[in-house]
Amino acid sequence: MLQDWRFWFLAPMVLALGIVVLFPSGYLVWMSVTHWIVTDPSVYFDGVQNFATLFRSASFASAVQVTALYLVLSTILMLILAFGLALALSGPNSPGFIRAIVVMPLVIPPVVAGFTWRFLMNGEMGFLGAFVLPNVGITTNMLANPTGALISIVIADVWSRTPFMFLIFLAALQAIPRDHYEAIRLDGASALQEFWLVTLPMMRSAVVIALLFRVIDALNTFELIYVMTKGGPGRSTQTLSLLGWKTAFQGFDFGGAAALGVVMLVVTTVCASIVYRRFLRMPS
Amino acid sequence: MSHSGPAGQNPFARLGRLAFLGATLVFVLLPIAWLALGSLKTRNEALALPPKLIFTPDFSAYQKIVAQGFLGAFGNSLTIALSNVVLTLLLGTPAAYALTRIRGKVQDNLSFWVLSIRMAPLFAVILPLYVLFKSIGLLDTRFAVSLAHLTITLPLAVWMLMTYFRSVPEDLDQAAMLDGATHLQILLLVIVPIARPMLASVAIVVFILSWNEFLLAFILTSRGSQTVPVAVASLAGTMSFDWPLIAAVSVCSMIPALLFVGFAQRHIVSGLASGAVK
Amino acid sequence: MLKKLLTGGSAALVAGLLASAAPAQAETTINVVGFGAGFAWADLFGPSGTEKTQALLDFEKKEGIVINMEYADEDVARQKVLLDLVNGTGNYDLVMLGSDGAVQTYSAAGYLEPLDGYADKATDYFDAKKVYAPFLEANRVDGQLWGLPYYSFGAGVLYRKDIFDKYGITSFPKTTEELEKALQTVKDGLAKDGITDVYPLTMRGAPGEEPSLDLTGFVYAYAGDSAWFEGGADTPAKIKETGAKPDFTGKFKPGFDTFVRWSKEFGPPGIATHTWVDMMNLYAQGKAVVLMPSAINGFAGLGSSEVAAVKENSVFAPSPVGPSGKAIQSFWTFSVGMSKYAKDKEAAYKALAFLTSQPVMENFATQIGWPYTTYPEIMHGPILTGKWPKETLDAIEASFNDAEPHYFPYIPELTEFMDKIGTAASESISGSTTTDEALNNLQVWATDRMERAGYYKK
Repeated sequence: MLQDWRFWFLAPMVLALGIVVLFPSGYLVWMSVTHWIVTDPSVYFDGVQNFATLFRSASFASAVQVTALYLVLSTILMLILAFGLALALSGPNSPGFIRAIVVMPLVIPPVVAGFTWRFLMNGEMGFLGAFVLPNVGITTNMLANPTGALISIVIADVWSRTPFMFLIFLAALQAIPRDHYEAIRLDGASALQEFWLVTLPMMRSAVVIALLFRVIDALNTFELIYVMTKGGPGRSTQTLSLLGWKTAFQGFDFGGAAALGVVMLVVTTVCASIVYRRFLRMPS
Repeated sequence: MSHSGPAGQNPFARLGRLAFLGATLVFVLLPIAWLALGSLKTRNEALALPPKLIFTPDFSAYQKIVAQGFLGAFGNSLTIALSNVVLTLLLGTPAAYALTRIRGKVQDNLSFWVLSIRMAPLFAVILPLYVLFKSIGLLDTRFAVSLAHLTITLPLAVWMLMTYFRSVPEDLDQAAMLDGATHLQILLLVIVPIARPMLASVAIVVFILSWNEFLLAFILTSRGSQTVPVAVASLAGTMSFDWPLIAAVSVCSMIPALLFVGFAQRHIVSGLASGAVK
Repeated sequence: MLKKLLTGGSAALVAGLLASAAPAQAETTINVVGFGAGFAWADLFGPSGTEKTQALLDFEKKEGIVINMEYADEDVARQKVLLDLVNGTGNYDLVMLGSDGAVQTYSAAGYLEPLDGYADKATDYFDAKKVYAPFLEANRVDGQLWGLPYYSFGAGVLYRKDIFDKYGITSFPKTTEELEKALQTVKDGLAKDGITDVYPLTMRGAPGEEPSLDLTGFVYAYAGDSAWFEGGADTPAKIKETGAKPDFTGKFKPGFDTFVRWSKEFGPPGIATHTWVDMMNLYAQGKAVVLMPSAINGFAGLGSSEVAAVKENSVFAPSPVGPSGKAIQSFWTFSVGMSKYAKDKEAAYKALAFLTSQPVMENFATQIGWPYTTYPEIMHGPILTGKWPKETLDAIEASFNDAEPHYFPYIPELTEFMDKIGTAASESISGSTTTDEALNNLQVWATDRMERAGYYKK
């Protein structure tokens, strides 16, 4: 193990994170194997019962589906938008004020973003939902329609989270050395070939990191959805993270919520570690 | 490639680029404009359709922010976000630097462990964190929120810094070592000065993350240390649904972070760019 | 600049943080968590919820008790209360509790202090004989009292008399059957006149526990009892005794069906996501003709409305009677209870009694101006009679006295059931499932849940 200066450089961070992470993790695992429902006075070890109940429940199945749909849709849209913006705005003479505008949603708390989009989309009094959309022939009430509600939260999420991805891409794009392009241009490559042969490969690790953080963020998205739809109508926008919150704080089932938390943590960690080992590990 | 030379020679490509940018600007600005307008209207005007674009601005919502004591929430948010920035950089900079000067399994596992901290679903760690801060007597303090926000900001900061430090040649370290510098001196006198733009951009991103965070701030604070997102949420829950006031607080909630980003937008990009591709 | 800030400021910052970590403690401090800053107890804590008015300072001086109030969003405040109680933090001595779950759950879990033993401790402030009995009854679980009522209401309808008149309906229907016909007449009339942005009915249909209050009121009117469990069993003892199984696919169904059908046919298109905020705003903007059965949300809208037609033509009517002969319910009280972990319980009760006392409720009535209060003397007193016609006040008083506070079962699992029932309603209204599917799912879930909770163990 490390015995030199590097130990002392790492120790404070490891200690700080250890305090705020290790205890909660252990506590979480303990809760997940405990029958702990507030309405039920007895708290006892319950083996895998919480997990069994979770996997049986219809809410879990629907939440997995909703989460997957939301995650894939929003991430694809975000990727396209962020990449497009980065390409369009990476030029030295692209106006700085446009970049500044594009990153503005970054500084708006998701709670606020959720409220704003909810009132924009409101089918009876919202500017978009009750004025713009009906005037272009879309009469479906976005927030009250199961598909419309999902689309609405995807739109709001893309609005709120694209700027961060855009910044990462913009930075990566500007860091590509110019001579890479010059070399390939001498060979008579088209713009499209440049993109495929130089831009994309050079941006690989930026894209992977951005995606990794995006997926983790998306699984944790809570307040934006909660504020916009509370998971509704019905369960059509109830993601895993909303389900977990409801299980704990409306169902008072701490054991059940912890079981869901453990499942999510394990699945995310396994997936992320595959991505990490495949794409991001540093050469030894 | 627009930045690499004769971009947009093709008029269709140029037109497409303009249309794409135009559409994006409308998409990005619409909610912000709507918030800003809403904050200057009366309650009835704010809900009226078609929206009134010409109206007498009403600043009473902004007066209410001061009168109803929301400035305290801004102070809390500012303290929490700034102290989180300080903590994150103090802990993250040496760690990230050391991680790039290690090879093999330790480096691998440690960096992944740091990343994995962000993967814990927040709803599931709320109760444990509450129990933790209760037992060490930090419940309802701004310090507790700053600490809790480390779980969100530190992994990101360490990863951003790691990509950057990797691009700093190790020859530099060695040269300084030959001059008899300690590792702490190398970090403080050689690495940190070089990394200033990157540190600034990390600081900004961390500030924004902490400023925006709702769930942890909500759970760990009460009377004295409420933050801005928590205040906005509690406003929306009152019986006198006051959209102009919510809008006004929201507009103000953007200002500090906006100042940061406005000042340093180029900085962020160049900082990130210097370490992005490796 | 940034660097200076980070290096120079950091030491001072950390020092400041550490200093702020040590909370100051007064001698007898009673901490309260509530919702609605500027609404609840604005007479004591000011419009911002952060001041202390003379009335409060007088109380504090007289009793030697300092009351600290913390306001939060209604929904999330519950989460905090729960964390505080579960962990025995004792940060809050007094907590606001809804009578649709919190009272039942927290009392069953042993987090609350029963209040019966304190009844004669602070009669200067709170005397149980002086308030409407049903509001106290709503806070009784297993015969014990767990909270004193603050913001409370009964069922009713607020409707636009001008629009009813226009379409030839001269009096508000007395039964659900007649009301459905009237709503159809209004709907046809609006359609004929080409009015597309006014809806005959506004109710709440958002997922979660919110719509359940009104929905279970519909079920009660159709079934004649709560109809969640066989034979209308509505306490854990009765359910265990008779082994009553959930009845969501049985007697629960007619009321549920009606709620969903009305929402779909007469409600605004977004009703499946609407909370009280939406129903209040719609009514205030003149976009809804009938608001029910939580008429209080209509009065809230009336208070903020800037539309003359709404302000001038809104009339209260009693909640219509369903096929069972009982009226649609929407009875609720937001009460204040005492934490088991309160350090000084005598002082806490005194503060509790003060917060729900007649003078405080008088101030509340003055400030909100809606015809609702927990004290008959205030109902017939100058504040409300000066503002509302006698018929309105009498009708609203009747809605308190005639109410069945236990129109849904009083079981510890209530909040969870309310959440699932409301979500099933939202699902059915939005059309993502049929009512039969939704009720089947509910039945399966409820059976499983009750078995897990050990209700049917022999």
